[in-house]
Amino acid sequence: MSLKETLLRIYDTQYKKLMIFSFLLLVVCIASLSVSYARTGEFFQKGVSLKGGITMTVPVDQQVDIHQLERALTSKFPNADIGVREITEAGVATALIIEASDVTNAELETALPELGVKLEQGKYSVESMGSSLGQRFFSQTIRALIYAFVFMAIVVFLTFRSIVPSSFVILAAVSDLISTLAVVNLLGIKLSTAGIAALLMLIGYSVDTDILLTTKVLKRKGEGGTIFQRTVGALRTGLTMTATALVASIIGMFFTQSDTIRQIMMITTIGLLFDVIYTWFQNAGILRWYLEKKEHGNA
Amino acid sequence: MAMLKRILTNPRVIILIICLLLGLFAINPRPWNEGVQIKSIARNSSAELAGFENPKSTISPMGRERILAMNNKPVPDIETYYSFVSTLESNQTVSIKTTKGSYKLITKPKFKVTLLNETETVLVEETIEVNETINDTVVLINKTVSKEVEQQKVLREIIGIEPIGFSIGPAPKSNLREGLDLQGGTRVLLRPAEQVSDDTMALMIDSLKERLNVYGLGDVVVTEVSDRPGFIGGGNKFILVEIAGATEEEVRDLLGKQGKFEAKIGADSVFKGGNDITYVCRTAQCSGIDPNRGCGRSGEGWGCSFMFSITLSPEAAQRQSDLTKGLSVEGDTLSEQLVLFLDDQEVDRLGIAADLQGRAVTDIAITGGGQGATEASAIENALKNMKRLQTILITGSLPVKIEIERIDNISSTLGKEFLKNAVYVGLLALAGVALVLMIVYRKVIIAFPIVLTAISEIFLTLAMAALIGWNIDLAAIAGIILAVGTGVNDQIVITDEAIRRETDVVYNWKDRIKRAFFIIFSAYLTLVVAMLPLLFAGAGLLKGFAITTILAVTVGVLITRPAYAQIVQLLLEK
Repeated sequence: MSLKETLLRIYDTQYKKLMIFSFLLLVVCIASLSVSYARTGEFFQKGVSLKGGITMTVPVDQQVDIHQLERALTSKFPNADIGVREITEAGVATALIIEASDVTNAELETALPELGVKLEQGKYSVESMGSSLGQRFFSQTIRALIYAFVFMAIVVFLTFRSIVPSSFVILAAVSDLISTLAVVNLLGIKLSTAGIAALLMLIGYSVDTDILLTTKVLKRKGEGGTIFQRTVGALRTGLTMTATALVASIIGMFFTQSDTIRQIMMITTIGLLFDVIYTWFQNAGILRWYLEKKEHGNA
Repeated sequence: MAMLKRILTNPRVIILIICLLLGLFAINPRPWNEGVQIKSIARNSSAELAGFENPKSTISPMGRERILAMNNKPVPDIETYYSFVSTLESNQTVSIKTTKGSYKLITKPKFKVTLLNETETVLVEETIEVNETINDTVVLINKTVSKEVEQQKVLREIIGIEPIGFSIGPAPKSNLREGLDLQGGTRVLLRPAEQVSDDTMALMIDSLKERLNVYGLGDVVVTEVSDRPGFIGGGNKFILVEIAGATEEEVRDLLGKQGKFEAKIGADSVFKGGNDITYVCRTAQCSGIDPNRGCGRSGEGWGCSFMFSITLSPEAAQRQSDLTKGLSVEGDTLSEQLVLFLDDQEVDRLGIAADLQGRAVTDIAITGGGQGATEASAIENALKNMKRLQTILITGSLPVKIEIERIDNISSTLGKEFLKNAVYVGLLALAGVALVLMIVYRKVIIAFPIVLTAISEIFLTLAMAALIGWNIDLAAIAGIILAVGTGVNDQIVITDEAIRRETDVVYNWKDRIKRAFFIIFSAYLTLVVAMLPLLFAGAGLLKGFAITTILAVTVGVLITRPAYAQIVQLLLEK
């Protein structure tokens, strides 16, 4: 028996266990987010574009010890919240990103040259976000995220005109989002507005495969085959979709110089990986279980 | 060959090809375009006097005026322009050939003005309003009279030429507009401190534009944004200002100030910015570093004073006269000072000469200062402050206070790097996608059209952006990436529906493609509705992302994906 057949057999016979695994994973992720909430009062860490502060992007032509720079800046401005990251292009550092709140632009501009970071007029970028706007921005983007979800749910319901399978699709999308947030949080990534945009992208990508699966299983009964056979038909297409998207987002993550695009790519990558689990273990499993139970009841 | 012909004559493919051609027309790429683009024209400069006009921001990049030759020497790039301009002498006539015509420009000399310890009497022409009886009715008319004025003698030396007044950029290579992230510049988000009506908002936007213009910044976009759609209440209103090539410091003071200018004697207001001031002098003769106070050491650095003269309206002059009447004389000056306020903060205070008591003088001097580490930088800062104050006095105050909510200053070199990098990453990602498709389908005939479709989707999205004047910035690039990703996904769905052999008997081609499009349309709708709320979140700063995504997926669903379905059908149907 080839590897592929073995895997398919496990997928067929053990689908309930796989489904339970996906739910356990979801529970673990929710727990992780709750712990973070209990500890910090936030579900995830907000970057300066969501809470106010300064982002400075400074091109560098040599390696800079970012941890040392961060420590030096933090000891210089003890009240400020300062983070230093670097942008690498294929492993080589090309720019520094300094994110800071509760410190002014001018203070940073005088402090950096003292610490050995050259600032050339016109060569670096400074973005400063007022804290009240940051707060408003944050609540608005979260609201946008919720609205997007609600609208998406309505479209899904209208598409399938069947409440239970539609809610499975939405459940998968919610699970995907929650788990991605949990991992983003564990990795210590501070979410920026671009990150929220990426989460919205993720809704799109996540729902894509779920719609594919549900259409094939639910609306193509006439094509014959068991629920499992139809699931496998969708699986092949779905995995190709996810694979191409993953390759593109991983390439983007490693080679981009823009911090904005890198965060988008990173979140998309994490989300796509979870999407495999939540579409093919959770959604497929629960749908099969539901349909088989229904058929049984009818028979 | 027959296959190719069948593909190319298919109606959906023809539609795609027509759209691509139209797109090419909209983008209008000219990689070898020469000349320098005129981005803005400074007020009262040689360029404006020669008849050049400030380009409107709505003009497409390729439609903007470009300088092609100066004095019959071709100007292919910025370096040539600057090296030519550096050779110019004062009062020289320069012939300029542009894409729109020919101009004659006369350079203005730049003077160094030194005040001498002598006075001279000069004749000045002055326009005054007088009541005159014409045909038995009393009318107010402007009359020009000459009067003798005694003034300090100055020595004027020509030390070069005044800037000729062009703000220029490289010739555009296509109609694509680069957003601020990629081009470099300053973006400021302003919020009125209180709720304002639509009319007030429009007024504020006009004043701010005027302010930036008078200050000399031409390449400016000022728009109103709101964080909620109009039909559910409008939400908070913001003003978004985008300026290519300005420093943050300049912009912060210029835009963050309401610009309420007031001069008071004691608690009484003498005159305010706006209607009370009829003329603000900005030439070297009556504005500059204050000759009486000059520069001096202050603390660790230097401080300089500036002065410029303004003309008050007769009413304001009368008010000044009334207010000074009651004051007592102490030595050379009066007992109260004239105190200048900008946005309720004191800028400077001036002693009032004793002989001005009770006189309605219309010409008075406004003063202020600037600090710096060295004398040179103090002079520079004082002159910068002067220019800002002049600008604010000319354009008047805004109806309500405004607050700077966000200010981004993006370096143009970083922006260029981002763009180059984004193109490179995009190509790499496409190559990666092609590789995966090759591995999965093992057929060039499938992988190749998918990648080709993805490229034409990017192209059509850019064309749409060029057509509607939308800027391509980082957010837009992210949107395009997302849309291309879903595009590839959709094409995989189409392909898989098309190549499934096991259902050949049950469904014909048409049905299978129809079924693929059921999935595609549901996915399309979910994505579009998910993007809608973002149009308004964050004061419109995420609008670019949402709009580009919606634009790109719509192009995909309506144009490229139907064509792809046909191509795959024709390629596989043997």
